[in-house]
Amino acid sequence: MQVTIMFMSGVDDGRSLHFESETDGQFVHDEWTIRMGREGDNDIVLRDRFTSRHHARLLWKQDSWWLEDQKSTNGTFVENDDDFFNDTRVQLLPLQEGQLFRVGRTWLRIEVSAPL
Amino acid sequence: MSDFSRDNLSDFVRDVMIVARQEAHRMRHYFIGVEHLFIGLLEIKGGITTSLLADEGLLIEYVIDAIRRRTGKGSRDRIWPDLPDTPRAKIIMGIAQELAFEEGRKNIQERDLLMAILEENDNIPVRVLNALGINMPVFRENARTRQVKRSVTGTFTKIDIAATFEGDLDHDQMFILRRMFHGYSEVRIEARLTRGFSSAVVLIATPIHADQRADASVVVKIGPSDAIQEEAIRYDRYVKNTLPPLTARLEDRPIAPDNSNYAALKYTLLTDTQGQAMDLGMMLNDWTALELGKWLYDQLYRTFGDRWWKQSRKYVFEAWKEYEWLLPPALTLQYIDTPDNTPVPPGTTIIKPGKRPKLDEVEYGAIVQVANYIVQKVDPDKGTIWLALGDGMNTPRASEIEVTNIDFSQDTYFRGEAVEKIYGRVWRTRHERLLDAVRALQPDFDLKGEFISVNQHRLPNPLRSYMIMLEHPVEGMLSVIHGDLHPGNILIGPNHSALLIDFAHTRNGHTLFDWANLEVSLLAEIFTKNIRPDWSGVREVFEHIYAAYRGQTVHEGDPIEALAIQQLVGSLRRIVRECVSSPNKLTEFYIGVFFCSMRAVTWENTLSLAGRRLLFLLAALAVEQFRDEMKPDSKDKSSNATATDQTRSGEA
Repeated sequence: MQVTIMFMSGVDDGRSLHFESETDGQFVHDEWTIRMGREGDNDIVLRDRFTSRHHARLLWKQDSWWLEDQKSTNGTFVENDDDFFNDTRVQLLPLQEGQLFRVGRTWLRIEVSAPL
Repeated sequence: MSDFSRDNLSDFVRDVMIVARQEAHRMRHYFIGVEHLFIGLLEIKGGITTSLLADEGLLIEYVIDAIRRRTGKGSRDRIWPDLPDTPRAKIIMGIAQELAFEEGRKNIQERDLLMAILEENDNIPVRVLNALGINMPVFRENARTRQVKRSVTGTFTKIDIAATFEGDLDHDQMFILRRMFHGYSEVRIEARLTRGFSSAVVLIATPIHADQRADASVVVKIGPSDAIQEEAIRYDRYVKNTLPPLTARLEDRPIAPDNSNYAALKYTLLTDTQGQAMDLGMMLNDWTALELGKWLYDQLYRTFGDRWWKQSRKYVFEAWKEYEWLLPPALTLQYIDTPDNTPVPPGTTIIKPGKRPKLDEVEYGAIVQVANYIVQKVDPDKGTIWLALGDGMNTPRASEIEVTNIDFSQDTYFRGEAVEKIYGRVWRTRHERLLDAVRALQPDFDLKGEFISVNQHRLPNPLRSYMIMLEHPVEGMLSVIHGDLHPGNILIGPNHSALLIDFAHTRNGHTLFDWANLEVSLLAEIFTKNIRPDWSGVREVFEHIYAAYRGQTVHEGDPIEALAIQQLVGSLRRIVRECVSSPNKLTEFYIGVFFCSMRAVTWENTLSLAGRRLLFLLAALAVEQFRDEMKPDSKDKSSNATATDQTRSGEA
């Protein structure tokens, strides 16, 4: 399985990262984990002073993507439909493909995977 | 994808790049992203981008701040060298270069850059424009075809000022009027509506075509652009869908020229049969108190009540959440520049959201750290920002703190920003400000004690009461409220119907705020007009208000004002009683009267001395009434009232 994550803000805005379950992240018992944070051992290393060392992770399980905060200091968010300027903080939330989410100050997006 | 070279930039885009770098530095981002490029396009006046946004009724500063809010300010610590372009910024410059080549040019011009940002369609500025309600396909088409115009062309709209008009219009106001009525040959300024206490100008204007045909008159409000922008947003959010069928409505988007600090709004106007338009302030001389009271109930309250004040639900809050913003800032700090990782100096008072800070206990000279407060207002010329707990739209604008001596060439602050941390030294407290405002009234009574003596009454000293009043839990009702209900914002339409304008403070809030505010402004406006400005004149009027509040009956031979005040207060009470959370308990109303009165006491430049004096006494009376009702069985204990609750007269 494959997924592409795109940076939607910050110094890496516009950069996209491609992941394959066989080589990237952790794939255990049909669950695939992609870790995000400031530290170099994450799958997505964020150049953002407002992210924690191990800030949040993306999980593929039960045929969908989940976003999970890892007790970060500055929080993990998704956009708020009612108020563009007050994002909704999340602990664990299923993500739609194409939905934006924020880790610290950095916005990211799971790209719609191109059919093979 | 074409690569672009920085040599291929027009002078305009070269300037955009310089501004983009400055913006990146000010925001401590240390990279050049699309957001910085777009802000560059916005900060250089006279271009296509600013003119397109002005057409959308969006204030340039507002859009810039919205983008800044979206990205947030970075930290002072840098974690990479130089100022790299983001991958997306590079892509966009590449698109811009291609667009230039398609036109047979090498130089990238403003339109190329703007079109590249809009066509890429996946960047922060586009997301913000979408969120601000811009129709992107239309906007893109306009961006593609818009001619660069350095000045407004076309027919010159003549401004004709009617003989009955009082006062002047300044250059900025005339400019905005011409912009608003562009295409008409003439606009006749009929009247200036009496205003409350804001700095806005409200006019009645009639646009006239070249063939002398006049269109319907409209109400034009010209004011500081951020306030006008806010009003349009609040109108959309709270007002638009809740208006009665026949009333003043906001027309179009606001006019916000990119080279003015003013903006303007236009409300449709419904006039009476003679085509006269007037606000309630103008009627106050003609109507008796009884007529006024009846009109307030039958027209104003009934017309708007169904969708606003009567659509209420229980609301329990501490008074400060709804009312603290009426008082002067809790603290004024002198900014102390502090690097990001400085340890907190010993003895520092830390103020952050959460538990309400005891700001009134912080003393002169103390060092204060304010964390995660929201910027309400920015004045770069004065080097001052105003912070508060919330943004006033979703969360209360309470615990305001003013920070002065900021060097805006080094640092930037923007409206809506959540400031992570800022240090300052206290140089003025709220108590000092209030004390100064009350001393300016030259009181002939002692301000130090718990009580003040007024006529033969001993009333709680407002200066010693406001802190406790702020903390008081209130059981009230919540509904859409106008937020600035006073005679200047209430218009009289056909058949004496009630129309409202000015929705800059409209929100979901304490229902009785509107009626406390209206009562306070009516009492000050009507009954201090022709009195001796000394204390004896004020005391006389106050005595009548006292009697009305305490439910004392008016006797034969009492002055006519006594009866008028009783009738007015009585009819307002009828509305108030329909809006309280528990029948016959007016404590929540007296809280409103107290804070609305205290606010007006500080209006040295806009309210007469007699008005401010009267309202200071009214504040004291409101505390007295509040305390009385708080007593377990208030009916038996009303210490110096001569009448009981049943005889509160004046009610219909």
